[in-house]
Amino acid sequence: MNPMIVEGQVHGGVGQGIGQALLENTSYDENGQLLTASYMDYAMPRADDVPFYTVDHSCVTPCTHNPLGVKGCGEAGAIGSPPAVVNAVIDALHRGGHTHVKHIDMPVSPARVWSAING
Amino acid sequence: MHNFDFVKPATIADAVKALSAEGAQALSGGQTLTPTLKQRLAAPSVLVSLTGIAEMKGVCMGDDGLSIGAATTHATVAKEAAAHYPALAKLAGGIGDPAVRNRGTIGGSIANNDPAACYPAGVLGSGATVVTNRRKIAADDYFQGLFTTALEEGEIVTGVTFPIPQKAAYVKFNQPASRFALTGVFVAKFADGVRVAVTGASNDGVFRWTEAEKALSANFSASAVAGLTVSADGLIGDLHGTPAYRANLIKVLTKRAVEAAH
Repeated sequence: MNPMIVEGQVHGGVGQGIGQALLENTSYDENGQLLTASYMDYAMPRADDVPFYTVDHSCVTPCTHNPLGVKGCGEAGAIGSPPAVVNAVIDALHRGGHTHVKHIDMPVSPARVWSAING
Repeated sequence: MHNFDFVKPATIADAVKALSAEGAQALSGGQTLTPTLKQRLAAPSVLVSLTGIAEMKGVCMGDDGLSIGAATTHATVAKEAAAHYPALAKLAGGIGDPAVRNRGTIGGSIANNDPAACYPAGVLGSGATVVTNRRKIAADDYFQGLFTTALEEGEIVTGVTFPIPQKAAYVKFNQPASRFALTGVFVAKFADGVRVAVTGASNDGVFRWTEAEKALSANFSASAVAGLTVSADGLIGDLHGTPAYRANLIKVLTKRAVEAAH
């Protein structure tokens, strides 16, 4: 195993998941016209949208279903990060007293958070 | 991209002459026009570059205030205006990204008057004077709605002169994809009153929030704005925010700008 490649895969996956949770949105108008047809309207995660990472290798759990004990790591970050980010937003809202907010559709944009608070 | 001729005059007089040709179009930093040409949404017969004219470049402090040549890039304003007008320098340094800031110009921005551009808020909020090859135009008369200005046929912006306020700040909330201003507010406190200019929010382009100006002129603190309400009528509603959301942003950003003003 190359630890640097694993870390890179996790970084990329977490970034992709943060983008899904907070930014990325394909939107059409009522006539079926794509509104997010360029990167002027379709928001991709960029370097300043993601945190610095520390990838922890200390918890090693070999796979029991193959002779090498290896696991894929490519999608791990992308699967875990959207629920982590959205739950963090809901948790912050509850701690701030907005306990009526139970759910916000992704991407959790500032406008959607504001609507949920005031809705 | 359609075919076009390209000229790069060295004087304002030559530029005006070149622009009198049929289908001629002024080109400054090209941060709006070049993508438009690439998408074949414009087909000028001749592009007249305004970036080779020495008298339209530079930042200079004089008796009337800070004069900035129309072909001065955002990056240069960010650097050279910092000592004289920090709020304006910060606005220029926050436009787009480094590539945009090293090509885009103040004259190009205010001649285009995009409803989400930053400079119109700085120019209107400062009560600046727009200088053209023919006349001087007060900012209050210059901005006339979405992509519309007081500029006439054959008239080009040659510079902008800013009076220096006692305190000022520009605060914008980024549209998450383009990072244009989803809404941006420029607040400037002068001896004779406060000016508040809002960009990104209105279907009519940049505008002054006169109610806040009145309240802040009497009491320059964020609390002076707290009791005011902004109507959502005529505000932009799109993918990134409803009119009601923008109305809220105007108030929030005005408070932040007052707190940040120095």
